[in-house]
Amino acid sequence: MSVVEQTRAAAPSPFRPPPPPPGAVRPAPETPADVLDELTAVVTGAGGAILASVDGFAVASSSNMEDDAAHAAMLAAATGLARQLMTIGGGNELRQLVVDHDEGLLLLWPIGEHLVLAMVAERTVDQSRLRAFVRSRVALLTGARRS
Amino acid sequence: MTDHVFKILVTGPFAAGKTSLIQSVSQTPVVSTDVVTSGDESEVKDATTVAMDFGTYSIEDDAIRLLIFGTPGQPRFRFMTNILKGDVDIVTFVVNAEARETHPSAGVELRSLLADLRVPAVVAVNRCDDQDEAEKIARSLGATDVARVIPCQLIDEDSGREVVIEILTTLLERMEDDDEADDDGDETAVADDNDAERELEAVTA
Repeated sequence: MSVVEQTRAAAPSPFRPPPPPPGAVRPAPETPADVLDELTAVVTGAGGAILASVDGFAVASSSNMEDDAAHAAMLAAATGLARQLMTIGGGNELRQLVVDHDEGLLLLWPIGEHLVLAMVAERTVDQSRLRAFVRSRVALLTGARRS
Repeated sequence: MTDHVFKILVTGPFAAGKTSLIQSVSQTPVVSTDVVTSGDESEVKDATTVAMDFGTYSIEDDAIRLLIFGTPGQPRFRFMTNILKGDVDIVTFVVNAEARETHPSAGVELRSLLADLRVPAVVAVNRCDDQDEAEKIARSLGATDVARVIPCQLIDEDSGREVVIEILTTLLERMEDDDEADDDGDETAVADDNDAERELEAVTA
């Protein structure tokens, strides 16, 4: 075998994807915390996530977020107030609350009737992708309702 | 025309009757941020305030208008109290006489509130009909320097209105005191205050 043939044989086939690097394959999420870690890992610009009950208790958070009970209370208060604020515009259903600040975004979405999900994100984050991702994991997240 | 607008803060521990007070007296639809409770709190009541309640109360064709802001009761929402207490004219601390287990923490909260308060405070002792008992509870909480202690039944609208009348009376007394302390006081303003007091007397008569 010539040197050229040896090089071609060693090179990856253009018709076959390269094997994923170690750690790139994520196991299927089993808990809400897994979902929040997955969300943070796979969506570019997503910085961390917190799941809270609407009455202000922490339910889960991505592993990179600080464990601060006040966060869940603030998320509940903000969501509760936003549900009232939307009536100014005649709204009936709160879909998203956006806190736009100098360091980026905080995005809040009601998850079912009893939960709220907050996402720390860069301003450039693909919000459509984030929402689609969250929708695909709602069943697992809502199974986390604090009892 | 509104001559006087007062901001009232209604605060106190979880399930004391703060939202009931505002709902029973407000003359405009109450802005409420109640959500369903979970965990241990769901055994006490079904819904709880997570941000604020807001209601209004006016007398004499809106000559005096009260803007009533209610806080959540749980310590985890204390930041809302800190936000809402700015520029208040009077604080109303509501406590449930029957929920004795809440009194120690309510006392800590009340004493903390009174420590840096520059406006009058009243204590509304809910589920209590006896003035002496109400004052005893207020003293046990550390309420030694409050303008009034009011026994009340806040599930009853009339009782809620009586609390508001006591709040109004306290505010007008404070205005009188402030005017008397001001040597260069504006006589017109005093006259306005006297008018306001007469209006209040007409309402409460």
